[in-house]
Amino acid sequence: MIRKVLIANRGEIAIRIGHTLREMEIETVSVFTEPDEHSLHVRAASTARRIESYLDASEIVRAAKESGADAIHPGYGFLSENPSLSEECEKAGVIFIGPRPNTIRAMGDKLESKRLMQSAGVPVVPSWDGTPPASEYPVLVKAVGGGGGKGMRLVEKVEDLAEAMASASREASNAFDDSRVFIEKYIRRPRHIEFQILGDSHGNHIHVFERECSIQRRHQKIIEETPSTAMTPKLREQMGAAAVAASKAVDYRGAGTVEFILDPTGSFYFLEMNTRLQVEHPITEMTTGLDLVREQILVAQGEKLSYRQADLRPVGHSMECRIYAEVPEENFRPSTGTIEIFEPPAGPGVRLDSGVARGSVVSYHFDPLLAKLVVWASSREAAIDRMKRALADFVLLGVRNNIEFLHRVISAADFSSGEIDTGFLERHPELFTVSADVPVEALLVASLGGDKAGSGDRIPDVWNSGSWRNS
Amino acid sequence: MTSRTHSTFQISGRSISFRLLEPNLIEIDGKRHRFYVLHRRHEHIVWLDGHTYHLQRADRGGLSPAAAVPASGEITALMPGKVLRIEVKVGDAVAEKQTVAMMESMKMESALHAPKAGRVAAIHCRPGQVVEMGELLIVIE
Repeated sequence: MIRKVLIANRGEIAIRIGHTLREMEIETVSVFTEPDEHSLHVRAASTARRIESYLDASEIVRAAKESGADAIHPGYGFLSENPSLSEECEKAGVIFIGPRPNTIRAMGDKLESKRLMQSAGVPVVPSWDGTPPASEYPVLVKAVGGGGGKGMRLVEKVEDLAEAMASASREASNAFDDSRVFIEKYIRRPRHIEFQILGDSHGNHIHVFERECSIQRRHQKIIEETPSTAMTPKLREQMGAAAVAASKAVDYRGAGTVEFILDPTGSFYFLEMNTRLQVEHPITEMTTGLDLVREQILVAQGEKLSYRQADLRPVGHSMECRIYAEVPEENFRPSTGTIEIFEPPAGPGVRLDSGVARGSVVSYHFDPLLAKLVVWASSREAAIDRMKRALADFVLLGVRNNIEFLHRVISAADFSSGEIDTGFLERHPELFTVSADVPVEALLVASLGGDKAGSGDRIPDVWNSGSWRNS
Repeated sequence: MTSRTHSTFQISGRSISFRLLEPNLIEIDGKRHRFYVLHRRHEHIVWLDGHTYHLQRADRGGLSPAAAVPASGEITALMPGKVLRIEVKVGDAVAEKQTVAMMESMKMESALHAPKAGRVAAIHCRPGQVVEMGELLIVIE
């Protein structure tokens, strides 16, 4: 039985994992690096240990041993898909809450994972080791060791290939310590559909339905939902069977995700398998009632999954918006600063997985994901209405963020009709423009606080000029 | 400041009556609105009914795109981060929009472009250096 878990992560995911651990009456140890000393995930744990790096497997395993933790939860990102942590855990006799090192290694190598999936009968995207023939462009350059859009480049012409590979390789080397890249056929108007899978050490493998993650910027997801508007019962059965075949092919243990791309004709291809908890896992939890972290813990201590395939019946519709510290209107440039006002939304069917609160400092050291706003409702239409309301209620000031942009995206007519694919944002440049006009009500409230405040009936002249603009 | 009596706000010949009910609640022409305000040196940030406005004076030079001054040759860091590489040296001729350096911030690479055609007059940073937002990095003349 697992009694104490070291959470080898930070931000919202460290906090979310802590929630389930406390519900299971398991003690938690959090780790932090110097810039994170005052971060929310450190305050949320009963024990906290300072480390030099979230990427040093030996240091993290040592911290687990010294703090008496019998298991490590890697979260996502950082060391979650680096086989060295799983390996170091095995050597030190600490339980790694995730798959075995061989599974991580095989699935982390995109070329090997494709070969494995191909032999298991799962359809894969054509790829090349060398330079593809000119007729095959556009192609995608991807990092062998990575994900999340890092180290990925779209190449339209053969003469741009060398530079794209060099730049992708550098980015991959910085992000994953592995500079290898490969080239894959680019599928036009693809949807990104992934299936949640769970496997245990008793030979049970199930899928927990799909998540549609087609709304992306820079190849990174910003809005996810389940069920997908592209799904039919027949397609779900086919893709679900392929996901379970993938899980069985590697005798998968724990929670994982099989990512597919789906083209407009209904053909789907294996993209990659993420051998960890996914950022967007909450939407699956909302429609099925599962706690995926709880299943991870049960599997890690050798128990059977709590569910068989036939037990699972998704209900309603769930959607997630990723709240990033970035300015979408300025090419998604990251923003830093201190969150001075933080008033999150609440109400029926609203879940917020947040790594920040009032006073949190957002620095350039880490990924700009601040929080995930998740809603559930009985239908997709009601879920969109609920998400719009929750975004409109969310006050986050002090760091520029994408809350209003997300509201504009889900308010777009194409989004409500479900006509989405990974090129959605590129087709909608109008979503990136903000009116420079300032309503008089905004000027009025601006005049009521701070050193330029008005008092009584008199509003200083500065506010009466109509020459303010929104930027 | 918290006046529960009716006040009026005059703007562009319009007169708007309002009551401040609580620090973050105002009634304007009979309708209630939630609001938050942050005053910054260069802008006032207002959140009102789900919209955030970054208020800047339109009559000051450079704030409005229409009033933009001719492109300055100064390249500054758009965000805090690390300089990965510098692709030019002092004296090099550069074209407008040419990539002159790469930066990394929040694990993402971004390119710095020459704001105008010219020659590299000075380089104020080196690869690996951590820079603050607004820091002067390269000058094109």
